Amino acid sequence: MTATTAETPTPVASAARRAPLIRLLRAELRWVFRRPRTLVVLGLLALIPISVGISAAIADSSAGAAEGPPLFSMMAGNGLALSVGTLAITIMLLLPLVTAMSSADAIAGESAHGTLRGLLVAPVGRIRLLGVKAFGVACVALCAVLVIAVTGFLTGLVMSGPDGLFTISGTTLSIGAALGKLAVAVGWVAVQLWAVGAVALAISAYTEHPMLVVVGVLAGDILFAVLGGLSALSWLHPFLITESWSALPDVLRDPMPTEALTEGTLRAACYIIIGLSLAGARMLTKDG
Amino acid sequence: MHSRKKALLAATAGTAAGVVGLGLIAMPAGAGSAPRLPDISAEKLTESVLTADTPAMAGTISVDNNLGLPAIPGAAGGGDLLNIDSARVHTDGKDGKRVSIEKGSDEQTVISNARTTWIWDSEKREATKIPAGGRDVHRQAPAHAQRQLDDPTAAARQLVEKMHESSTVRVDGTARVADRPAYELVLTPKPTERTLLREVRVAVDSETRLPLRFTALTNGTSEPALRIEFTEVSVGAQPAELFRFTPPEGAKVNEERAEAPKRPKHAKPADRDLTVVGDGWDSVVVARSGQGIDEIAKAAGAGNGRQGTDPRAMLDRLGKKVSGPFGTGWVVSANVGNVLITEDGRLAAGAVPEQVLTEALGKTK
Repeated sequence: MTATTAETPTPVASAARRAPLIRLLRAELRWVFRRPRTLVVLGLLALIPISVGISAAIADSSAGAAEGPPLFSMMAGNGLALSVGTLAITIMLLLPLVTAMSSADAIAGESAHGTLRGLLVAPVGRIRLLGVKAFGVACVALCAVLVIAVTGFLTGLVMSGPDGLFTISGTTLSIGAALGKLAVAVGWVAVQLWAVGAVALAISAYTEHPMLVVVGVLAGDILFAVLGGLSALSWLHPFLITESWSALPDVLRDPMPTEALTEGTLRAACYIIIGLSLAGARMLTKDG
Repeated sequence: MHSRKKALLAATAGTAAGVVGLGLIAMPAGAGSAPRLPDISAEKLTESVLTADTPAMAGTISVDNNLGLPAIPGAAGGGDLLNIDSARVHTDGKDGKRVSIEKGSDEQTVISNARTTWIWDSEKREATKIPAGGRDVHRQAPAHAQRQLDDPTAAARQLVEKMHESSTVRVDGTARVADRPAYELVLTPKPTERTLLREVRVAVDSETRLPLRFTALTNGTSEPALRIEFTEVSVGAQPAELFRFTPPEGAKVNEERAEAPKRPKHAKPADRDLTVVGDGWDSVVVARSGQGIDEIAKAAGAGNGRQGTDPRAMLDRLGKKVSGPFGTGWVVSANVGNVLITEDGRLAAGAVPEQVLTEALGKTK
């Protein structure tokens, strides 16, 4: 890891006054995806849809009502339902945590290692630096979602071929149509995670303890879920990002109801704006 | 120092923009000033509602259920039936109808066209096929609101028709429902009607005459006991494939024959022998099963393959014990009405005070 740390500023220093953005982004991606923990987490995420798919198939073949998470009864042999269902389970806690871990490494982790100082004095604008860091976090989040979606879909295909793809409304889909719906789900979940990542980056900019970022996101997630369960606070619910997350199964309906999904995307965009502006403020005022 | 100030300014502006955005999302849609519409008399409006054809349209219906029906353990209570998240309706204006009822992440869809009707249940992965001319799911009224919800247009129409004799009907201004201008039609019971309901409001689309919102208000509360409304309506031709259905691979398919309409499996024995006493707002539905309450419970317990709950204990908990010329029974109260269940297996229900129920039982003896 120290080798990469030394490597990152070198191309930047050799550039004239401003380093080309593409090269910065590439360097950040190399830096993020060479971390063993990123790779281990992505590998473990791939196991979730496989194990959920197997347990759904076992529950399906044995008689009796299957008790499980939402969409569980549809998951056996249905790659689309398995992917979207696993995303619906993991978006509640696991995927936000993965995003938070990446955000924690991005700024707080660098300042804990003392490497942020070097980046701050490098001839890269601080907003630009934040942009590069945010890009890294966004890529990790998107990869996490893609890993789950692709393994889930493949597990379904292996288990029962391309015939088992049907929606909650009972319509059978061709592989192309199913992949289209899956792409919508992946994009939608990624945007939600970017919102979590933006807020986590803001926390990350204000502290030099990476642990605090993860704890902050975990606590926020749980708190929002608790507030969302209190009907007396229904006026507050539209402000909670966790409220959008139960809309994900709508992707599996046919025709797809877009109302809740659009609202969730807009809500996530608001969180992204808030998170990035707070993080930007801190980056600009940080002592070099 | 200068850049610090600018940064803080930008951060504040960005954060404020985000919060304002969240606030805008939180604002209820469709809330706007009442639209201006040409005047119309109540009679004319009612008539146009009754005669109008449902246009080709798609819409989303939400149900706000505040009926206060007690939850009955182990039985599909009335409260459970209306306990849905939302329903989506598509119709081509002719035979093609499609209703999707969402409960959590499960969906029940009824798709019908000129030849067949399909019922799809995503939770059980089960499809039921009913040829046309058999059980008409959209019109049959097994006294359950769920079926009425399948076709809110027909349900509201029936109601308006029935209540015209016993009610005062007037047009109370205009409203905007699902972003469409609508007339508010208000039905108030005549003073002679002995009912718990204060008024029923139906918002009628000014253009298509489609009932867009149905609200039932009871005496003494300002919150509606039941509100069924369209949150989204788009009038226009619908794609034909919405009204066709092919059950997916691996689903269980049941076929029903046209000539032998099956009675629903979970029908309560009390559904037999139904009579309606009175008319208008204070009509009471009286059912007799011919069996005592203990025998019914025993039969139901055997049918379910499990020990039935003690009906007496359950009724003691849900309602209060009463006795009179009809014998002994229990009155279960909800926000909109009362239900009287007697020991000898009779049941009387209506949107009326308890006394009217007792009288109705006396009349059917």
